[in-house]
Amino acid sequence: MDAAMLYALRDPAGVPSHPLVFLVLGVLTWALHIAAVQVMLGASALTLYGAFSRNPYWRRLAAAMLSTAKVAVSVAIVLGVAPLLFVQVIYDPFWYTANVLSARWVIGFIVILIVAYLAMYLFYYRNPRLATQPVRGAWHLVISLLLMLVVGWIMHVLSYQMLLPEQWMSWYAPNGQIDPSGKSLHGYSVTRFSFFILLSVAVVAAWLFAYRRYLMGRNAEDAGYIAWLLPLAHRLMLVGGVLAVASGALWLATLPEKMAWFATSAWIWVSAAALLATAFFPRLLGHKLDQSLWGYVPFALGAVALIVVGTAREALRYFTLFGSHGYDALDYKVNMDWYSTSLFFITFAVLGGVILGYLLTVAWKAGQTEGVYTPSRAITRLGNLSIGLLVLWVVQFFAVGFYVWAR
Amino acid sequence: MEYIGLFPMWYEPGIGSGWVVGLIATIHVLFSHTAVGAAIFFAYLSTVSYQRNQPELLEFIKRYGLFLLVFSYVLGSITGPGIWYSTTVASPRGISALIHSFVWKWATEWVFFVIEVVGVYMIIYLVGKVDRATHLRISLIFGIASYGTMLIIIGILSFMMWPGKPEWFVEGGYLNGFYGANTFAQLAMRTAFMFTMTAVVGGIVAGAIKDVAFKREITRKLALLGMASTLAGGLLFMWYMNTLPDSAQVMVANRLPDWFAVSLVSVLGGIFAWFAVTWLQPRLLSPALAMVMTVAVLVFGLWPEEVARESIRKPYVAGQYVYSNQVIARDVPGMGIKSEIPLIERKGFLPTQVFVPAQLRVVTESNALHAGRSLALTTCSNCHSLSSTGMRPLAKYFGGNTDVAQVKTYLQGTLGTGNTIYMPHIPLNDAEAYALARFIVSLNPQSLRNPLRTAAAESTALVAPTIKE
Repeated sequence: MDAAMLYALRDPAGVPSHPLVFLVLGVLTWALHIAAVQVMLGASALTLYGAFSRNPYWRRLAAAMLSTAKVAVSVAIVLGVAPLLFVQVIYDPFWYTANVLSARWVIGFIVILIVAYLAMYLFYYRNPRLATQPVRGAWHLVISLLLMLVVGWIMHVLSYQMLLPEQWMSWYAPNGQIDPSGKSLHGYSVTRFSFFILLSVAVVAAWLFAYRRYLMGRNAEDAGYIAWLLPLAHRLMLVGGVLAVASGALWLATLPEKMAWFATSAWIWVSAAALLATAFFPRLLGHKLDQSLWGYVPFALGAVALIVVGTAREALRYFTLFGSHGYDALDYKVNMDWYSTSLFFITFAVLGGVILGYLLTVAWKAGQTEGVYTPSRAITRLGNLSIGLLVLWVVQFFAVGFYVWAR
Repeated sequence: MEYIGLFPMWYEPGIGSGWVVGLIATIHVLFSHTAVGAAIFFAYLSTVSYQRNQPELLEFIKRYGLFLLVFSYVLGSITGPGIWYSTTVASPRGISALIHSFVWKWATEWVFFVIEVVGVYMIIYLVGKVDRATHLRISLIFGIASYGTMLIIIGILSFMMWPGKPEWFVEGGYLNGFYGANTFAQLAMRTAFMFTMTAVVGGIVAGAIKDVAFKREITRKLALLGMASTLAGGLLFMWYMNTLPDSAQVMVANRLPDWFAVSLVSVLGGIFAWFAVTWLQPRLLSPALAMVMTVAVLVFGLWPEEVARESIRKPYVAGQYVYSNQVIARDVPGMGIKSEIPLIERKGFLPTQVFVPAQLRVVTESNALHAGRSLALTTCSNCHSLSSTGMRPLAKYFGGNTDVAQVKTYLQGTLGTGNTIYMPHIPLNDAEAYALARFIVSLNPQSLRNPLRTAAAESTALVAPTIKE
């Protein structure tokens, strides 16, 4: 598969902004998506473990983590839409080919994810009081977790097949016979997949620090439970850090020849430093974890580390396709469109910032309040501003639309 | 070397890749339209609750919201990207054309999605935990943000049929592609019908309410919403049909079955009658009946409508410049897009395709059947099944003709000229027309008459065709 062929697969419409913008947004939103995925995986595993424990604290944690996992799936799906969008914009030759070659699995992804999510809900409905009553139908959650790993594997394969254009024809037409069934998953790296899955241990540990800090703000919470959570979070963070380093090293040691440069690149050192900083940071904080908002910082730092890891992952893709296959994702034809570009960034930064700021503040404050929460005047003004901005957005949609239509 | 940018093909012999997309898309329409309508309905109920001091309405929001968490925000949120995934494998250049023109619009919609997902959890779980004025604010944010997703996707769906303004072909630009008469007509029609779906699906929740008076109040609210929106939707449908481009009007006149209009009126009448009955006798409403009605709307309302919409944009799949077989069919100077037809005419399909085995790039007597199969996969299989099942089986269009020369002449005379309604222009040189004809003839029509034989025989033929001299 030479460069001319790869370039021919590009969309002739070009892209409406500089391709670097899509590349950066792809990395940022992928990091957010994978954070939600890892919280979901870690929280599901903790739920499963806690559900069979006799320790009341474990059972309470299982109930909380089940709610967390349920919401995390929603968040992972909605956040996953953005990197899925951006990868199609500048890597379309690779993404579409990788998908078509495993088409049945792509369709299977949808079905399996639905079953996995419904299984989690079934477990939730069967265990409304998981903290206090014996677990029922645990196999629902086992199936859910296993199927979530399967959909993760499918996504991994699709992403990995993108990097192997030299093998595409042998997959599509083995021995010169075209096989359009899309029935096989062709290219994969068990070590790479393991690294990203095992990262969930450290991520859920960081989540536990934040969860613990959240509980500390509530008056009626059990101090014993909060104290019990601390060593658990530390232990998980330590184990997660070791697993991340070990599985990461294994992945790098098993890189195929054309990607071997990545193992000794600066991207790896920076990523390793970010992950280790995240792993050791809670211990460095010590008692400060209980003060002010410091308890939330490990998770924030973890998110930054995931952005760094995501950047390294992108570097591996970009330079492999550029260096080994002559495809430069950043020289995509630009058909600049200022209106839609500006509208997105304004919507993202202003509407998204204000509205999500308002909603999350209310959600957090309500969770910290006994009884009915009534926001302050400042927060209420933020709510009114949110509604106003939305109305303004809708008005501009119709105003611009009618103008263009009538023109 | 010059290439046309066709991807590998996914061929689904059972029902066809197009129907896979159609099934996922139709189901998603039910989930997503219900969710958007419900979000606005919730905002209305919250307002009434706040103004009239009726906290029980918030309880209904909570119940319906919990139902929607699974119905729309589990199933809907997965089938949404599911449409992307299915079109990615069934029609990669079709979805690519939309993505590359409207990436920022989809990204903007994503911002609304995030707000929507946060919002739905909050309006459910914060009932009774925040003061009612705050809950009202959250409901309004949720409702408007949900409608924002509808506003955005409609323009993209309209572009799929026809770019908003004809100027788009010359000038390009997102605005010319997005906005047009069809955009607003479709928006108005879908807005009406999304309330219809909200009212139908809401019956599943309302039917389970135990309190008789409260059940009557909610059921009647849903019934009124349903009757008004069904009536409005029917009228707006007529506006929508009037905004279709001429080519689509020709398709409507020639390709849709005669019973389509009658069936549409009957379905709308049936839905209206359902709401009228539940308004008159709210106690008759039960979750089971409402579920049956929901499935009926899906099967008899949404599915035919989506199939019809799919049909009338043929032979294009996106923006009237990407053929359903993925070939770029015309120049679009405004976007710097060049038709691929001239290159195919000069050099043929097989030498210019990326994903063709080397030994098939030149047709010979010994590889003609394999080359023909490769051509059939590329040029036909998006719309025509190469087996006896699925969409419009290819073999059935040739009446069992086994004369390769006649089939070749037919192919070149009809598809090669580009003058056949509904079909793309498929320029086939002599060698490629011969190869394709050989393959079509090899799809023995006798086997199509015996369903027990077809699957095995044809899958064998597709994997390892035997040349019969």
